[in-house]
Amino acid sequence: MTAAVIQRRAAPRWLRRLGSWTLNLVAIGGFVYLFAPILVTVLYSFNKPRGKFNLVWQEFTLDNWADPFAQADLTDAFVKSLQIAAIATVIATIIGTLMALALSRYRFMGSPIVNLLLILPLTTPEIVMGASLLNLFVDPPLFGNSVDRGFRTILIAHILFCVSFVALTVKARVRGFDWSLEDAAMDLGARPRRVFFRVTLPLITPGVLAAALLSFSLSIDDYIITLFVRGSVETFPLFLAGAIERGISPQINVLASMVLIVSVGLLLAGTAFGRREGRVTPPS
Amino acid sequence: MAKETDDRTQRRGGWVPYGLLSPGVVWLALFFLVPLLTLVRVSLSTQESRFEQKFSFTWEFKNYSDVLSEFGDIFLRSFGYAGIATVLCIAIGYPMAYFIAFRGGRYRNLLLGLVVVPFFTSYLVRTIAWVSIMGDEGPFLDLIRALALDGALDGIGITDNGRLLATEWAVIGGLTYNFLPFMVLPIYVSLEKIDVALVEAAKDLYSGAARSFRKVTLPMSLPGVFAGTLLTFIPASGDFINAEFLGGPKNTMIGNVVQQQFLVQNRYTSAAAISLILMVIITAGVLVYAKVLGTEDLT
Amino acid sequence: MRRNLSRRQFIGRGAAFAGAVALGPTILAACGGDDDDDAAGGSGGGGGNSLHVDSWPLYLDEESAALFEEQTGISLTYTTVVNDNNEYFATIQPSLSSGDKVDADIFVLTGWMAKRLIDLGWVDELPIADVPNAKNLVDSLVNPAWDPTGKFSLPWQSGLTGIAYNRAAAGRELMSVEDLFDPEFRGKIGFLLEMNDSLGLVLRADGVDPENVTFEQAGPAFDRVEAAVADGQIRQFTGNDYQDDLIAGNFVACVSWSGDVGQLALDEPDLAFVIPDEGGMIWSDTMLMPKGTENIEAVAEWMNFCYDPVNAARIAAYVGFLSPVQGVQEELRKSEDTAALADSEVMFPPPTADVLAFNPNLDEEERALFDDRWAEITTG
Repeated sequence: MTAAVIQRRAAPRWLRRLGSWTLNLVAIGGFVYLFAPILVTVLYSFNKPRGKFNLVWQEFTLDNWADPFAQADLTDAFVKSLQIAAIATVIATIIGTLMALALSRYRFMGSPIVNLLLILPLTTPEIVMGASLLNLFVDPPLFGNSVDRGFRTILIAHILFCVSFVALTVKARVRGFDWSLEDAAMDLGARPRRVFFRVTLPLITPGVLAAALLSFSLSIDDYIITLFVRGSVETFPLFLAGAIERGISPQINVLASMVLIVSVGLLLAGTAFGRREGRVTPPS
Repeated sequence: MAKETDDRTQRRGGWVPYGLLSPGVVWLALFFLVPLLTLVRVSLSTQESRFEQKFSFTWEFKNYSDVLSEFGDIFLRSFGYAGIATVLCIAIGYPMAYFIAFRGGRYRNLLLGLVVVPFFTSYLVRTIAWVSIMGDEGPFLDLIRALALDGALDGIGITDNGRLLATEWAVIGGLTYNFLPFMVLPIYVSLEKIDVALVEAAKDLYSGAARSFRKVTLPMSLPGVFAGTLLTFIPASGDFINAEFLGGPKNTMIGNVVQQQFLVQNRYTSAAAISLILMVIITAGVLVYAKVLGTEDLT
Repeated sequence: MRRNLSRRQFIGRGAAFAGAVALGPTILAACGGDDDDDAAGGSGGGGGNSLHVDSWPLYLDEESAALFEEQTGISLTYTTVVNDNNEYFATIQPSLSSGDKVDADIFVLTGWMAKRLIDLGWVDELPIADVPNAKNLVDSLVNPAWDPTGKFSLPWQSGLTGIAYNRAAAGRELMSVEDLFDPEFRGKIGFLLEMNDSLGLVLRADGVDPENVTFEQAGPAFDRVEAAVADGQIRQFTGNDYQDDLIAGNFVACVSWSGDVGQLALDEPDLAFVIPDEGGMIWSDTMLMPKGTENIEAVAEWMNFCYDPVNAARIAAYVGFLSPVQGVQEELRKSEDTAALADSEVMFPPPTADVLAFNPNLDEEERALFDDRWAEITTG
C-alpha cells in the first residue's frame, strides 16, 4: 500500500493523552482483575473459619501455615496430582517434541493430516473427550474386559491432551529455524551426535521447556477429563470440587498459596537468569 | 517469510519423520480417534435401558433432532455467554498486551509472567475465590453498595435484586476471568513481532497515534487476536464449572447439560449427540473465522 | 552422502528408542488391568487384610477409622467419593452392568438407590450371619421398604429433610414449606438437587403422599417448583454446599438435611433447622456389598464394628444424623461432651415426628420420567 502523506489534523494533545492514560488504566485494571481472586485466596489462608467452610472472614491466624498438611486427604490428593503431572509431562513432552520435529524439519506426505490430528483435540470440548475416553475404557473394542479406571487411565488421558499442546508449542517456537545450521556444523566436521547436542538441542530447548511447563500446569489443573476417567482416585482439582460440598479448609488456601509462591519464585529466577544469559537467536 | 525458510531448509527424511511421528500418532489415534468414533456410534444408537448399558445401533438420527429441539436454547445461551466473554477478553486483554509489548520495556517478561502466574493456582480454587468475592455479603457487593451503585447495577441488569451470584453476569465474569491470559498471550506474541520503527513511521505519515494504530498495528496483530479468540471461545462454550458454581438454574450452559446427561441421568445417546453437535459447530466456526480473517495456518 | 545417512540413522534410531521408552510401559500398563494401588487412605487392592469403602463425606470420624484398623488389623481405605446417588451410580454402572467388579467392597447409598441396585442384581447378600451386632439394628429399619428381605443392606445413618434458615436474616421463625415460596425471600431460597428431598417437601405441602406418589400426582408439585425457578424465587439447587450459602448469607432459607445444620448451628447460632408443619422427609443411607466382592470377612468385621453401640455412638456424635443402632442414646449420655446430643431432637426425633419416605418402588420408566422432568427444571 502506498504511503501517501496525508495532511490531516492530528487529534488534540489532551485527547491523545487521555487515550494513552485510558489504555494504561485498563491494562493495570486488567492485572488487578487477574490477581483479585489470588489475593483473596492468599488472604483467606490466614483466616480462622468458625466452621467447615472457609468462605467468610473471621479472624487472622498463622495456625494454618504452621500446619499446612493437617488435612491428610487433601495432601494425598495434591501429591497424586503432582505425580500424575510429572509423569504425564515427561511422556507427553517426548512424544510431542518428536512430532514437532518431524513436522517442522521434514517435508513429507500426510503432514496436513497430522496437523489436523493435532488440532482436533483442541477443538474438542473437554467433556466430550472425557466421556469418550470413559466409553473406551469401559467397553474397549477387541478387548474382553473393561479397563480399571484409576491412576493409569488418568495418566493416559492427560498425556493425550498434553501431546497436542506440546507439539504445537514446540512447532511454533521452532518454526523459521534455519535447519541448514546443522548442515553447516557437520560441514565443519562435527559428528551427528555432537550436532544434535550442540546445535539442535539448544535451539529447541526453550520451546521444549515452555511446552513442558505448559503441559505440567494443564495436567495439574485438569478437572473435567479427569472426572470421567478417575475411578476412585482423588486428584487435587477433584478434591477441591468435593470440598465445596464437604468443607473448604484453610489448608486448601495454604497449599494454593504455596504453589503460587513457588511459581512466582521460579518466574523471578527465570527472568533474572534470562537477562544474564544472552538469547541465542538464529539469523533470520 | 517463515514458510520460505521452512521450504528451503526442510528435508525429505524418508522414513525418519514417520518414525518420529509414530508414538504420537498412535497415541492420538488410539485414545482420541477411536473413542470419538465410538461416541458417534453411541449417538446414533437407541438406549434400551438407562440402568444397564445396552445400546443398539440403529442409525437413529432422530437423537440429533431431539437434542436440538430440547436444548437448542441452551446451545444459544452457551455461545452467547462465550461470545460476550470473548469480546470482554479482547476489550481487557488487548490493552494489556499492548501495554506489555510497547510500554513494558525491561519488565516485559516479568509482566508476561504475572499474567500467567495466577493460573498456577487451581481453576477451582480461583472459582471458589470468586464465589467468596461475589457473595451477597462479599467484598465486591459491599464496595458497590458503599459507592451507592447498587441501584444502577440492578437497573442495567447486571445484578439481580442486589445479588451477583446465580446470575448470568457472574458466569460471564468467571468465563472472562479464566480465559483472559489465553487472549493476552497470543496478542502479545503478534504485537511483539511488529517492528517499532514501522509504527513510528506510520505515526509520522498518519499524523496520529490513533490512526497509525488502526492502519498498521491493528491489522498486524490480527493473527494474535484470532488465536486468542479461538483459545477463548472454544473452551468457554464447553465450560461448565463457572456455570455450576457461579450461576443459577437459569444460567446453565451446554457443558452442564452434557455432564448431567452423562453423569447423572445416564442418557448416553443424547449426551453423545449433544457433544458431537458442539464439536461440529465449533469446528465449523473455526474454519469460517479463519477464512474471514484470511489466516491460512491454524498454527 | 555417507554423513547424511548416518545422521538420518542416528535421528531415526534415537526417535525409535525414545518412542519405545515413552510408549512401551504405558501401553503395557494400560493393557494390564491390575488393580490400582491408590486412593486416599491405606493401601487398597483386593483380597486379604484390607477393606475399601466408598461413602459420603463427613460420615466417619478419624478416631473410629483408626480404632477399627487397630482392633481388627484390617487396613481401611475409606474414600468419600459419593456426593450424589445418581452421580455415583454412573461411575459404577459401566463395570457392574457388564458383570465386572468395582474397587469398593462396600458402598453407602440412599435407600431408593439401594433398591435399584438390588433389583438390578448388582449387589450380593451381606454376610449378616457373621455380624452378631446386626441384631442392634433399630426396629424401624428392619426389613425396610427398599430391601424387604433385609439381606442386602445394612443402614449406615438415617436423616431427616426439612428447612434450614437464618433466623436473623429471615426476621422471624419459619415453619412451613410455604415460607420457601414467600416473595419476601425472592432470590434467597435454595433447594436440594436431590429430587426425593426437594420434591418430597413440596408434595407434602400439597397434601400428596410421597411414599406412593406417581408421576401424574407429582405434576402440580413439579410445576410449582418450575414457576419458582422462572420468577427467581429459587436461587440455586445445591448439594451439601447449601451450608456455604447459608453461612455466607446467600440463602435465607433452604431445603436441608438434619445433621448438617446441627453442626453449623454450634458455630452460627442464628441458623436453625425445622421439620415443616406439613411434614418432612426421612431417608437412610445404607451399606451395600457390590456383586463379586471377595473381601467378605473384612466386610463383616466392619459392619460388626459399626454396629457396636460404643462405636456407633462415637460415629453418631461426629456425624450428627440418626444412628440406626440401638443403645446409642444411652451411650451418648454416659460422656459429658456428648450428653447434650442425647437430647437432640434432630438426632433422636420423637416418634410423633411427621416424616415420610419417598416412593422407593418406582420402576425404571417411571423413575426416568421423574428424573427427566426434574432435570428440565434444575437445568433451565
